[in-house]
Amino acid sequence: MDEDQSAEETTFVVEEITTVIKETVESTIGNNSYQHSKINQWTSNIVELSLSQLTKLGKPFKYIVTCIILQKNGAGLHTASSCFWDNSTDGSCTVRWENKTIYCIVSVFGLAI
Amino acid sequence: MANQPLPLSQETLAQFNRSMATEPGVSGPPRRRLGSISTRRSSKDQSKDQPHHRPLFLRGMTVISSESSFLSPNVSHSHISMGKRFSFAGWHQGGRVSFSGLYLQQPIQEVYVENTYRMGPEPGCHFSPSRTQQILQATLDSYLDGVCYSPDSCSQLCQMLADLVLSKLKDVNPPRYKLVCQVVVGQSGKQGIRVASRSLMNPNTDNYTSAVFQNHSLFAVALVHDQ
Repeated sequence: MDEDQSAEETTFVVEEITTVIKETVESTIGNNSYQHSKINQWTSNIVELSLSQLTKLGKPFKYIVTCIILQKNGAGLHTASSCFWDNSTDGSCTVRWENKTIYCIVSVFGLAI
Repeated sequence: MANQPLPLSQETLAQFNRSMATEPGVSGPPRRRLGSISTRRSSKDQSKDQPHHRPLFLRGMTVISSESSFLSPNVSHSHISMGKRFSFAGWHQGGRVSFSGLYLQQPIQEVYVENTYRMGPEPGCHFSPSRTQQILQATLDSYLDGVCYSPDSCSQLCQMLADLVLSKLKDVNPPRYKLVCQVVVGQSGKQGIRVASRSLMNPNTDNYTSAVFQNHSLFAVALVHDQ
């Protein structure tokens, strides 16, 4: 029984994390329009809240959370990531969120301890 | 016979030719000497040069590349000049052990890695953010200098950059460290953009670096976390 529990806990569950991140972004930005003065605060909030929610999951993981907030102006954006890790235990997920004036991309990488 | 101060390659060539043509007993000593040199060399290989599983070629050419450091020059010269198969007499007088073209392979031993019980990196082996930052910045500058943003090619460029940075950092990485590398490439318009990241890590051993590149048409941000 202990082994089953540890097996469940030591894998990176994408759905759970996606839900957590979406809620965080909604609660921070919601329907606000892009404001240059508040961007700093928004990104910090998103990232800190996400990280605290992730630690509340209680899994033996190290997390890296990256947040990109982009104003909708017709410009293009690409993001790519490459990782050197243990495929069986580590994983990542990316959440894309948008409203009328803002694009928000949050990436979470989880590395098993 | 080998004590004569002739050009040694020619001397041994002559000896070989003689040994090939005549009876074993007559030129027993030189052949045996040559034979003994060859077997001694292979045993030296086993102890010194090849602790692991390199195949031992006893044909002429290939032996030299691995052993020229401790061979006497006359034997090496002869092997290079001969370039053909020859058989050596073994240790026993009157007996003949032929090694021509024989492919001797060391038994491949599986390596069993034991538990090191190590809880953290060794004292000198930490991740170095400054060196990584230099590598990141140099890579971005060299690859993006003068490049124009185009929606079709930039996705490939972004992925290629991420893989490239990862491969460069793998060489510099201390052992047992994991790497996460993220590259953001965007068009330089009049929009604002903010990239933020935070990580839950062990501050004694883990760290991160970032580098930014910008030109008239695009910008790029590279982020590397090392844990």
